[in-house]
Amino acid sequence: MAQKQTRRNFITQVSSAGLAAMGASIGTLPFLSSCQKAIRESKADHVILLWMAGGMCHTETFDPKKYTPFQKGMESKSVFSTFPSAPTVLDGISFSEGLESIGQVMDRGTILRSYRSADLGFILHTRHQYHWHTCYEPPQSVQPPHIGAWIAKELGPVNPVMPPFIDIGQRLTVGEGEELKAFHSGGFLGSEFGPFAIADPSQGLESVSPPRGMDLQRFEARNKLYRELIKNSPFEDYASSYHQESMMRSMERSYELLKSPEVTAFNLSLEPSESYNTYNTGRFGLGCLLARRLVENGARFISVTTEYEPFLGWDTHENGHTRLAGMKKQIDKPVAQLILDLEQKGLLDRTLIILASEFSRDMLLEGRPGEKIKDQVEVPDHVEELKHYGMHRHFTDGSTILMWGGGVKKVM
Amino acid sequence: MMKSIFQWGRFWSVTVIGLVVSGLLYLTIVTQREDAVTGEAHAHWVAGDELSIDQLDQLNIDLRLLFAEKCYKCHNSVKHKAALILDTKDGIFEGGENGEVIVPGHSDDSEMIRRLRLSSRNEDAMPPEGKRLSKDEIELVSLWIDQGAHWADTTLKLFREAPLELVKPTLPANKPGYSNPVDLWVNDYFQQNKIEWPKLISDQRFIRKIYLDMIGQLPDPSAIEKFVTNNDPQKYSQLIDQLLDDDKNYTIHWLSFWNDLLRNDYTGTGYITGGRKQITDWLYCAIYDNLPYDQIVKELVNPREESEGFIAGIQWRGVVNASQRIELQAAQNISQSLLGVNLKCASCHNSFVNNVTLSQAYAFANVFADTTLEIYQCDKPTGRFTNTDFIYPELGPITGNSPDERLASLSTTMVSPDNGRLYRTIVNRMWDRLFGRGLVGQVDDMDQQPWSQDLLDWLAANFIDQGFDLKELLKIITTSKAYRLQPMDVSSPDDLYKKDFIFKGPVPRRISSEQFVDAFSEKIYPFYQSTHYAQNLPAGNPKWIWHREIEVDRDVLPKPGVRWFRKVFDLKTFPAIINAEILISADSAFTLYINEQKITSGDDWRTVIRKEIDPSILRKNNCISIEAVNGGLIANPAGILLTLKVNYLDEEIYIISDRDWISLDQQPNIDWQKVDFVDTAWSQVRSFGDKGYWGYPVAFNFQENLDHKARAAMVALDPFSLALGRPSRENVTTKRGDEATLLQAMSLSNDELLADNISRGAKIWFDKEGDDLQKLSDLFYHLMGRKPAASEVQSLSSIFNVTTSQEAWEDIIWSILMLPEFHLI
Repeated sequence: MAQKQTRRNFITQVSSAGLAAMGASIGTLPFLSSCQKAIRESKADHVILLWMAGGMCHTETFDPKKYTPFQKGMESKSVFSTFPSAPTVLDGISFSEGLESIGQVMDRGTILRSYRSADLGFILHTRHQYHWHTCYEPPQSVQPPHIGAWIAKELGPVNPVMPPFIDIGQRLTVGEGEELKAFHSGGFLGSEFGPFAIADPSQGLESVSPPRGMDLQRFEARNKLYRELIKNSPFEDYASSYHQESMMRSMERSYELLKSPEVTAFNLSLEPSESYNTYNTGRFGLGCLLARRLVENGARFISVTTEYEPFLGWDTHENGHTRLAGMKKQIDKPVAQLILDLEQKGLLDRTLIILASEFSRDMLLEGRPGEKIKDQVEVPDHVEELKHYGMHRHFTDGSTILMWGGGVKKVM
Repeated sequence: MMKSIFQWGRFWSVTVIGLVVSGLLYLTIVTQREDAVTGEAHAHWVAGDELSIDQLDQLNIDLRLLFAEKCYKCHNSVKHKAALILDTKDGIFEGGENGEVIVPGHSDDSEMIRRLRLSSRNEDAMPPEGKRLSKDEIELVSLWIDQGAHWADTTLKLFREAPLELVKPTLPANKPGYSNPVDLWVNDYFQQNKIEWPKLISDQRFIRKIYLDMIGQLPDPSAIEKFVTNNDPQKYSQLIDQLLDDDKNYTIHWLSFWNDLLRNDYTGTGYITGGRKQITDWLYCAIYDNLPYDQIVKELVNPREESEGFIAGIQWRGVVNASQRIELQAAQNISQSLLGVNLKCASCHNSFVNNVTLSQAYAFANVFADTTLEIYQCDKPTGRFTNTDFIYPELGPITGNSPDERLASLSTTMVSPDNGRLYRTIVNRMWDRLFGRGLVGQVDDMDQQPWSQDLLDWLAANFIDQGFDLKELLKIITTSKAYRLQPMDVSSPDDLYKKDFIFKGPVPRRISSEQFVDAFSEKIYPFYQSTHYAQNLPAGNPKWIWHREIEVDRDVLPKPGVRWFRKVFDLKTFPAIINAEILISADSAFTLYINEQKITSGDDWRTVIRKEIDPSILRKNNCISIEAVNGGLIANPAGILLTLKVNYLDEEIYIISDRDWISLDQQPNIDWQKVDFVDTAWSQVRSFGDKGYWGYPVAFNFQENLDHKARAAMVALDPFSLALGRPSRENVTTKRGDEATLLQAMSLSNDELLADNISRGAKIWFDKEGDDLQKLSDLFYHLMGRKPAASEVQSLSSIFNVTTSQEAWEDIIWSILMLPEFHLI
């Protein structure tokens, strides 16, 4: 390496580059730059955000500490990591057991182990998620847009028939659904830029196809009838040109999109079964597969989430150790495969992949050192049962973010 | 220190505000400057002149206006590039990171003048971008410095401010054919602007428009025929009276406007932790009773328990940004919704869009606070405090030692007839609703110039004279000929908000999400069949229940699959049961048994099934058993809602679905429907409450008339309504966008709910007796309010070429619904 960098220096640059790439510098951003030219040259065309919803514990995943195996009656404060760690492809960097596949692709990406969440007082997952995705803590006097909406508005789709902001995996019918809706939104940019939501990746195709049961021939005939009617309408004389035109234009665009061949990207059943099976660890895994197919077909910003549902997923208020083994299984192979596939298809350099969570977890501390907040989880002083063995409190003072591609410098 | 990624994010967002806001500032000031009170007197003054204090003030104000245009973009109290602030006295005198910028009395020694004079190629030149200062402008700066850099004590008002007081202007002279006061003012305006009165729309179009505007629904062909053939010149006002008297439909239609304005909704953030309260009951009654507007305002500002949700704001758990503490939310919302002035910017720093300062915002917020609030600038404490005051202190002080007393005082001040602002604002909002563009274009910025000050003032003053009667206000506007003018041709939405806007007639409007849905429900098929705001609860008040599904000790969404439910209950058998009836609805599907006899089944929760029960199957010990299915591929909401009513001669017994039921998730033994079945392995069901995810099914009652239609205004926001422009009411919404978007078009093209409803409606039209062409014409007439032209019949019937089918009717219905004509008022 020609230029020796201190680690601190390096991370600062990477993190700013990363964030800039996430929002600001994929091309020109007139909104941000206020009529000035782009801050820096674009390094990515696509973004995939892998969202670990519910508070992923860094010490049990990408930043393991000393392994303290379960012993009946052990002191809670003596627990550091509940898993042994395993080496990654990088010298001196280990991940927690169960993340070996991701460990093997870390030479293509970077690890940021010093991410601190906002200090928003009393924990409410959706508030921290809102903050992460919009840069504002709720409530706000105007609704801020999701970062995906921002990018959708400023850059639009790479391929015009692809919705520019696609959100995979989050149902809004779960607890805190209204709070989730509040940031899964185009905000003041308008609903046009809000997420194109696909709760179940295996059903994504339906949202971009003609109504169920309508074949292409009938879909075209229906549109022909609509056009005929407009042509024969005596109404034109009455309405202003702008209102009519904007309606007709949007209908035309929708028609083109719904019958375009690219939408087969949404059809996971077209994926070869070997590849499908590698990804298929559940909805998150299939979401990663869908994200890859969409990037191949020119989608701009895609979020794939393990899904937030209060007390489920990464939100371990109990049984942390046991449940995390399952969570790691869910993400390990699909995430690694996503990186490898994108690389193999030559798309990794122009796709920024970010894996992050709203905050981390700790055995004892709720909030952050010196600013401990009201406990929401009961943690006994001594661990008598396996269900108390794990990281159950919400910790905001440090966690890990992984990034690959999109101009992010590689560790080493 | 290394910045974590979060801190970067935060830093970045603040920068964004700065950039955007200062961009706005720059543009606004350029456009506002012609409004500003500026004298050119200084042109005649020179460095050595003895200037009076008034002249020095004038000189300083001219200088600040110039700075606002050229310098504030970078050097303001928020952005302070190079640590230099030019919009305050202290800032200018302190200088920036490169030291002092002015030497009072010595312009030649002042760094500022040196930089202003530099060639634009020099990197020290100011301003570094945009238009440089002219020679005269640099002279002004020099003169001000040489004259001692005097700072005027007055607050600089960069933006136009509308007067508060309201005087009713004298109506222009009568003109034959124009008796409505609105028309007299419009005529006056047309004369001044040399505009001929445009043509009026046909009666056919008028009746569709007035129905949509007053009650949000489409007229029936019979009503149209009757109106069009009526020759009475009074027919317009008669029809308007008739619609305004349709209290229920009037209320439901206008509920959406007020819900938007007052940020009231049935679902949304804050409810989960009790940090938000609905005002729906109060609001519904206020509209229904046509509560005088001054009373509405009083009850919002100094609330009763039922109306306190408006000023109580929305609270999320945890720490919030200082600008969003509930006292400031109250001040912001009252300002925006009721007074048409933006206080949001001034909640963080002195506003860039009007003259409101941070101190003024906090003074207003103090009205709602228990103790005087410390002023935070951009979320940073300043250690400063301010007094307690209304945003327009000239209307009098707010008195009282407690928030309650102050709210009483505030409410009196707010509704005082001296506060013309309050009445102009509501009048302008109503005009905007009915004409597509307000008398003042930006309905939340009542400081802007209306296109007719006289008309605005007359309407507002008349509104006060008429006892603050909102229906009277609507009537006087809609009985005018102006309301019936042909819509203006608008080539771009931007044209509407240009300074030189000229009124020539109403601006075409898109029908709202609610109007689309209600028209659909009325003419095609009930779009929504449940509400989230129910005036009448379902009979017996049952709860939505389902099998309790648990993962890691937590309740989770039900998984797809079959579940079994039981309820054992006793009945008196003497005196005899006269009759019994059951109501049931289930998501996704169910089969119902009573005492081992199959009663009914269903597969659409929206359709409430009502069934007579043969009393002879009921006994002393009874068992209701249900086999129900949750469809879908992943976990999703599922529920059963049931009421059994058993009638005796002198009493009624209700058996309802509630927590007392039990359920199972594995195929039970064959005897599971028997009363005496051993059900110890079954577990208590989970109750989702009255509304669950579905709301109240509208037809969940035992009355004969089963009206399945729910008006859209009463339904919780769903993705379809959202796509069609209904806002999530997290913030005040005073005007919905009416630009057609791709998202809307996609929803209209392939939304599952819409497609399903079209298909159900098509079946009805397909099955209907009669000639196909006649049926086509009827359908068209119902939806469009006019008969189809021959060419339109021909296009529509072309789809029957092969054969008529339900599918053909689906495509016909869809095509008509998509026509711009259907969507425009």
